[in-house]
Amino acid sequence: MADPVVDPRPRHTPAPTGQGFGRFLVAIYGLFAIAATSRSAVQLATEFNKAPLAYLLSAFAAVVYIVATVSLARGDATSRRLATWAISIELAGVLIVGAASVLSPSVFQHPTVWTGFGSGYGFVPLLLPFVGLWWLRHTR
Amino acid sequence: MTGTYATVITVVALLLAGWALIAAAMNRRPTLLLFAGAVLLEALLLVFAVGGVVQMTGSDRHFARAEFVGYLLGCLAIPPLAFYWARGERSRSGTLVIALAFLITPVMVLRVQQVWAGTVG
Repeated sequence: MADPVVDPRPRHTPAPTGQGFGRFLVAIYGLFAIAATSRSAVQLATEFNKAPLAYLLSAFAAVVYIVATVSLARGDATSRRLATWAISIELAGVLIVGAASVLSPSVFQHPTVWTGFGSGYGFVPLLLPFVGLWWLRHTR
Repeated sequence: MTGTYATVITVVALLLAGWALIAAAMNRRPTLLLFAGAVLLEALLLVFAVGGVVQMTGSDRHFARAEFVGYLLGCLAIPPLAFYWARGERSRSGTLVIALAFLITPVMVLRVQQVWAGTVG
């Protein structure tokens, strides 16, 4: 993750996160960013009162995916740090929301991307943060 | 909106997806011909979108019109985005990005049809 502040400039430049396999990974992140953003935009605009918690979570997830997509695509030192944060939050989000939706389904009748550990999206939302963090490590 | 034309787009997109996936499996970077496939799909989708909006304005049925147009625009956005993002990639990942676009298109077309039929949205 973050290098100590006093560290001199790294001796090697890290591999770009938006090329090679990263090109495909960013496409998947981008897909989720677009899907989550449009979904939450519709939810917030038309039926926010029905399930404020679920829909705010959807919007939050959308922001996380957007940040992860853009920072992975850019891949400079700052972006790399930002991507690590975003993807860590994504991992925490899918685990917490996933567990909560299994333990108390009544609260999560209105689904979000992370409900049921992303079962509505073939569990890709669960897999994605692990792949993302691995990729950030791999290209370091 | 649920007619033959949507089926044609779905079949073409799936054929293109199969082609792209085979190319990726063979470790090929995206070729000019593959990009041409994306352009072809975009042309088909453009006609689909225009036809959809024309049919929508000619109908007084009640369905989620904003979502309908949203999904049509979403369809149109996919191939150019994939084109832009895959361009310049020198590995099979670029081919996979194009394949992804070809695979999503049938899903999006299906959603358009579902919203049109009023089963969702």
